[in-house]
Amino acid sequence: MAVLSSLPGPSGTTDQAPAHRSGRWLERRFARRPARLGAAARANVWGVLLALGVVAALLASEGSEGFGRDEAQYMRAGERYWGWFEELGRNLGDGRPGASFSAANIDHYWSDNAPDHPVVMKILYGLSWRAFHRCTCMGPARWLHPIPVRGRHRTLPLFLRESTAFRFPAILMSGLLAWLVFAFARRFVPTPAALAGAVLAIAQPHYFFHAPIACFDAPITTMAFAVGFAYWKSLSSPRWGWLTGLVFGVALGVKHNAWLMPIFLFGHHLWMRRGDLLRLRLPPVPLAFVSMALLGPAVFFLHWPWLWHHPIDRARTYVNRHLQHEHYNFEYLGRNWNLPPTDLDLKLLRVTFPVVSTALTVPVTTLALAAIGAAVLARRKRSRRHQGPGALEAQPGVAARAPGDWRRPGAGVDPALGAFLAVQTLGPLAVLSLPSTPIFGGVKHFMPAMPYLAVLAAIGLAALGAQALRGARQLRAGAGTLRALPVGLAVLVTLPGIAETRRSLPDGLSHYNLLAGGFAGGASLGMNRQFWAYCVLPMLGWVNARGPENQRMYWHDVLGDALSMYKREGRLAMSVGDTGFGEPGVEASAMGLIVYEKHWALYEKFVWEHYGTLRPTYVRTREGVPLVTAYERPR
Amino acid sequence: MLGVAGIAVLAIVETVAALLAPGRAPTDADWRAAAAAVRAEFRVGDLIVAAPAWADPLLRLHLGDLIPIPVAARMDDARYGRVWEIGQRGAHVVGPGVDTTAAGTPPRIAVEARFGALTVRRIERPAAEVTFDFLERWTEATVTEVTSGRSGGAAPCPWLGDRFACPGGGPTVHRELVEVDTRIRRALLAPPPHAPGGRLIVAFPAVPLGRELVVAAGLHDVWARKLATGQARLEVFVGDVRVGDVEIGNRSGWRLLTFDTSRLAVTDPVVFPALAPALAGNASRPPATLPVRFEISSTRPELRHLAFAAEARR
Repeated sequence: MAVLSSLPGPSGTTDQAPAHRSGRWLERRFARRPARLGAAARANVWGVLLALGVVAALLASEGSEGFGRDEAQYMRAGERYWGWFEELGRNLGDGRPGASFSAANIDHYWSDNAPDHPVVMKILYGLSWRAFHRCTCMGPARWLHPIPVRGRHRTLPLFLRESTAFRFPAILMSGLLAWLVFAFARRFVPTPAALAGAVLAIAQPHYFFHAPIACFDAPITTMAFAVGFAYWKSLSSPRWGWLTGLVFGVALGVKHNAWLMPIFLFGHHLWMRRGDLLRLRLPPVPLAFVSMALLGPAVFFLHWPWLWHHPIDRARTYVNRHLQHEHYNFEYLGRNWNLPPTDLDLKLLRVTFPVVSTALTVPVTTLALAAIGAAVLARRKRSRRHQGPGALEAQPGVAARAPGDWRRPGAGVDPALGAFLAVQTLGPLAVLSLPSTPIFGGVKHFMPAMPYLAVLAAIGLAALGAQALRGARQLRAGAGTLRALPVGLAVLVTLPGIAETRRSLPDGLSHYNLLAGGFAGGASLGMNRQFWAYCVLPMLGWVNARGPENQRMYWHDVLGDALSMYKREGRLAMSVGDTGFGEPGVEASAMGLIVYEKHWALYEKFVWEHYGTLRPTYVRTREGVPLVTAYERPR
Repeated sequence: MLGVAGIAVLAIVETVAALLAPGRAPTDADWRAAAAAVRAEFRVGDLIVAAPAWADPLLRLHLGDLIPIPVAARMDDARYGRVWEIGQRGAHVVGPGVDTTAAGTPPRIAVEARFGALTVRRIERPAAEVTFDFLERWTEATVTEVTSGRSGGAAPCPWLGDRFACPGGGPTVHRELVEVDTRIRRALLAPPPHAPGGRLIVAFPAVPLGRELVVAAGLHDVWARKLATGQARLEVFVGDVRVGDVEIGNRSGWRLLTFDTSRLAVTDPVVFPALAPALAGNASRPPATLPVRFEISSTRPELRHLAFAAEARR
């Protein structure tokens, strides 16, 4: 614990030891505001560079990731929603815009993928597709679009593939996340550590897999961080109190995880204002919560046309859809989980799922840094307690024991960064620990915890950086060394995440970390290998080469929407067929594939029975681990 | 500085591992070489397995022509005296230390050779001698549905060419590939009757018993296991003596049960007095040939697709 002993002491203005000895970098950062425009501008430059780097990395790699069941549906829905806007434009031109707002017309377009998910991201996907795709829409793929193609689209053809245009908004959201993590972390740690924290938030194989695809899990991760950041700023800013509600409303429009965010934030608020509770007085209800309660649902309602004509009924339908969501199959520690466990031993095992999955998927160096960061914050808390009660309230520029102000609920108290990061990190994990919660999405369902974990890692890195600087000074290192040391350390700790993420592409779902032993280790541990058939893209060339048998192709878990998109992009021959799902699909097929998931053994049995062979003709692997097994019916 | 050094070492190790690990995976050439080595010495009746088991699709890709479906979907490994194992990363599924099927003489490694990242081993061990394979001779069975109550009785389930079908839309019994515990098995699919108090009886009139009777059972179909929660009961009778029973539920997996029939085989009317009449005349000529029957029932029979296999072994 030599590291911790030299790390920051308590927050406060009554320093009793020289700052350089007590290492109060964290405390100074806590209270700091950028003093000079130059510093703020430099930070923004770093933020922009980070965001651009993330966007570039995702654009460079997204084309290797196939389309899963969900993404293909969201692309279809996004294009259909665009159809509504397109028609609205025509109706405006015809002077009858009201026609677009009739219940029937709204349902015609907006019932797609309802009540499953609200539409902020799907609208963006549709708009981005319409604006940026390279139109080959009048060719043979014309009939594969979910809305009529009336003519060649005039676009700004930024992207070669339609799917990239669909995915672009999600990619931008990941770039935004990197910027936000940096901006938040920079409030507490030096720039190199904040930059590293932002990189560590992105350089996680499972996050990076989800980041570019046209789904909601990476965007809601960005929004979870944005809501948390806005709330944090609202502790001292009424303006941000109002803005928090708006940001929260957008988050509600991205994915239903957002409804849980106020619970986590309320937990932090209670902890931060626990002094009020101990004095038997009610803490103020923060403006941010009022704003979230008022603006959140309002934005949610306004953004989703499907709700407009039947707000109560359909809101109820939406809520019930997620409260009663079915449990899909998911492999965890060698078991196939598809129901809430009822036996105690399985309940206990089930509870471990998010923590174990995190421990086996996030790069180990990131985890270690986050653990150090958590220890730093915990020690800071303990140290303050040892200083006596007065230290708790002592904050720069704030009168001691100032009563809470609902517009500035952080006034007069320690804002409790540790508690904030704890609820934001552990909250999503805790929700997914409930035995009654489906686990089919794996890591993606608690991904909103990961940026906060990265902030913890940044704090841990800053602590180590301070330690390294002290050691270097003792060794009388030169000024250049002292400047380079934090930067070098920051670069070093980001390498594992970058290397692991690079290694995982395009099969991030199958990747496990050093503790697990990589792809093979994860398979041996019985961890989930993949889901929803993202993994067939590298096999399409093999399929294309197998005509005419491929006209009777059994696609197993690859849905028709994904096949349509592959064909629209020319990655799958138009002549390739689809014999449908289940045993009838196998029976009618001449060739087929089985995507490996534990529960799909039943469908491989159908292949063995109907083809009369167990010998595949192609097995797609990653590092020796089978992901897809393809069969051809013997002639 | 210990913390700084620790993190630096961890970061370097993790980075290097991420860069080097992909190169440690078995290549296609490794698999082809290993497969060639197995082919060169393969004998009909050998078993070929992959270690870890998740490499099985690759094993079947390269050696699937040597693995008949009944072998891949086998009840267990006990009858195989020569087992080829193609392993990687130090994993083993048979051989010294992990082999649980061989009694008496421990298994020995007869051949071991490396092919890149793969290791081929041939394990030799005493093989179980099967005196009666219920699955192979399932058509010799008689199937009866027994119901209780006023209209109850025993209704024979006639042979329909590919299965036994009980009258009135009752259960059918047939051999099939099944999926139990997310693995493909070959088994008799014999679901419990839906009639209250009903039992499905699958009876084999003359089974040459040996040292043990091994029965494996489980519930077929992952979706049925998701949708239903009832238990199926499987009772095993030799003659009129119930030698054992088991409740099979969603968590049972492919449940392997071993009943000691050594004393039945040499006949012991003291232990099994009820068998004395049936055993008369067999005492000096083990194994005894006796009727064996399986009775399947359930109080909640919906979607309980009981699948079982059995072997009598010397």
